[in-house]
Amino acid sequence: MKLVYKIILANTLGIIIIILISVFSYHEFNMLKAKLSFVEIADTLNASFLKMRLAEKNYFLYKDVSSLQLIKAEIRRSKDMTGGMKRKIIVAVGHENFTGLVRRLDHYAEEIDKIGTSDKIGISGQDIKNRQLSVREAGRDLKLFSGSMVRLERKKVNGIISASLDGLLYFFSLAILVAIMGTYLFFSNMFRNLSRIERATNSISKGNFNKIAEWKMPNNELGSVMRAINSMCDELQTRHEKLIQSRKLASIGILTAGVAHELGNPLNNISMVAQTFLELYDDLPDEERLEYMETVLQECGRIKDIVKNLLDFSKPKDTEFRVLDINAIIKKTLKLVRNMINVAGIKTELDLQEKLPEVFIDEDKIQGVLVNLINNAIQAMSAKGTLFIRTIRQEKEDKVIIEIEDTGKGIPPEFLSNIFDPFFSTKGTEGTGLGLSISYGIIKRHNGKIRVKSKVGVGTTFIIELPVYISKEEGDGCEEDHGD
Amino acid sequence: MDAKKIMVIDDENIVGKMIKATFERDGYVVEKFLNAKPALERLREQKFDVVITDLKMRDVDGMEVLKIVKKEFPATKVIMITAFANMDTSVEAFRKKADDFFPKPVKISDLKARIKGLLEGEERPA
Ligand SMILES: Nc1ncnc2c1ncn2[C@@H]1O[C@H](COP(=O)(O)OP(=O)(O)OP(=O)(O)O)[C@@H](O)[C@H]1O
Ligand SMILES: [Mg+2]
Repeated sequence: MKLVYKIILANTLGIIIIILISVFSYHEFNMLKAKLSFVEIADTLNASFLKMRLAEKNYFLYKDVSSLQLIKAEIRRSKDMTGGMKRKIIVAVGHENFTGLVRRLDHYAEEIDKIGTSDKIGISGQDIKNRQLSVREAGRDLKLFSGSMVRLERKKVNGIISASLDGLLYFFSLAILVAIMGTYLFFSNMFRNLSRIERATNSISKGNFNKIAEWKMPNNELGSVMRAINSMCDELQTRHEKLIQSRKLASIGILTAGVAHELGNPLNNISMVAQTFLELYDDLPDEERLEYMETVLQECGRIKDIVKNLLDFSKPKDTEFRVLDINAIIKKTLKLVRNMINVAGIKTELDLQEKLPEVFIDEDKIQGVLVNLINNAIQAMSAKGTLFIRTIRQEKEDKVIIEIEDTGKGIPPEFLSNIFDPFFSTKGTEGTGLGLSISYGIIKRHNGKIRVKSKVGVGTTFIIELPVYISKEEGDGCEEDHGD
Repeated sequence: MDAKKIMVIDDENIVGKMIKATFERDGYVVEKFLNAKPALERLREQKFDVVITDLKMRDVDGMEVLKIVKKEFPATKVIMITAFANMDTSVEAFRKKADDFFPKPVKISDLKARIKGLLEGEERPA
């Protein structure tokens, strides 16, 4: 779902919950207001009724006519009140209860009226007693009814209050739940995707153009960002490959001068041997003639090697991992750069550990790394320098270590953290600054490590660690390229 | 007349060996060196008529040899040979007074003719 829709949905949900809570509260509070105002009315009525009954008692005890007057006044007041508040009372207690109340009040009033008239005319004592009885009955009935109604309503009010409390609590928990769930559903996904994007861009900046898996992409704006990153990856990858290719061509350019020299010498040797052979033929003993021809063949072999190395180097090959001996590759690489080393007047010292375990590598790529490092070493040294190449087996961690050390000018500490960055170079137009960054990427793809130690004015050592190849039966750790 | 002395300096062993073989049959005395340093030392104890030196070598550059020889033994003829010749290096060689400059592969008969000429007082090519 698109993020906008998600945001709209989350907001709508929030608004709906707020409206529900408001409607609920409004209804409950209105109800409460009605009930409370009734309780108020009922209290007044009750007080009236109480007064009536007290007056009634006085009247029967002392035959006090003013008491009767008082009762009648109270009845009138009560009737006015019930009449005036009819609507409110009905809302609060319902029509039935209202008519019940009015009926009982009327009945009481009638009975009181009867008492008033009977006094004047003079009726038998028994009759008077009966009437008093029915007055009392009607009075008690009225009082009881209204009292029970008030009690009932009070209970209802309490009920409404606690129900509203419960209701509000319920709504709030629902709101909180929705908020939490919504945040989780909505943001957890978003954060997961954001951190996926972060990881992808981080790995790009380290020079790994790992794409984000298609199936992991959400169908929203973040998904579009991911797709954009992926197409950027593709673009970077192709450009990167082109760069590597053009770099190779450039180093071939550097090598050509060396190659001309390298080919020129054996060619000259063959030519000179042949000329001498022809000139001295008659004087040469048989074994010297054979020796001459063997020299020719040897020199042909030299030429063949150079041509082959050159082809190996220039041919763009697909990655091809094989189980190989690193010492052999170092020797091969040295042949390739020997002339450059000679021309620069640099000595080489090899210290290759024997019986080194094999490594699972892409020969071309590793050779590229070695050429880069040797190139840098040559460029860092004056004519008196020495290039040390060592291989060491590290048994503990099943690693093979290659050290390439020079006695060159060294790298200032402030540059150490930058030298593996693409395009970092202190060589101006002479360097692309890609050598080390490409080498870093290659070693990383081999699950290896590359480090540097350097001291200004003393020299620099590049240390490569490659995992030892472990055959299938023992476990296969070499096949997968673990990302970050 | 004494036999003319030729010195060959080239880190390719075969070059010295072949020059020695062919030139000695023509009556020259040839000494070959793989490195410039011992060759220069030898020059200081023994006068040579011709020095044939490779241009690019491990220890001392052929240009350096040329410079030293021309400074210390101006009478000695110097012929440069190289497998990697271009205009710049040959121009530099002649500027430093090389008597000739031969790109590899060297034609031995040409080299012989040139040395013969040089020893008979021919001027170096302009
Ligand atoms: N052995 C070394 N000694 C001293 N400085 C080095 C050495 N190796 C690398 N550097 C420094 O690291 C920088 C980056 O090296 P990198 O190989 O990536 O590029 P570069 O050599 O400048 O360019 P290119 O490889 O295209 O020739 C160099 O410019 C140099 O300053
Ligand atoms: Mg470099």
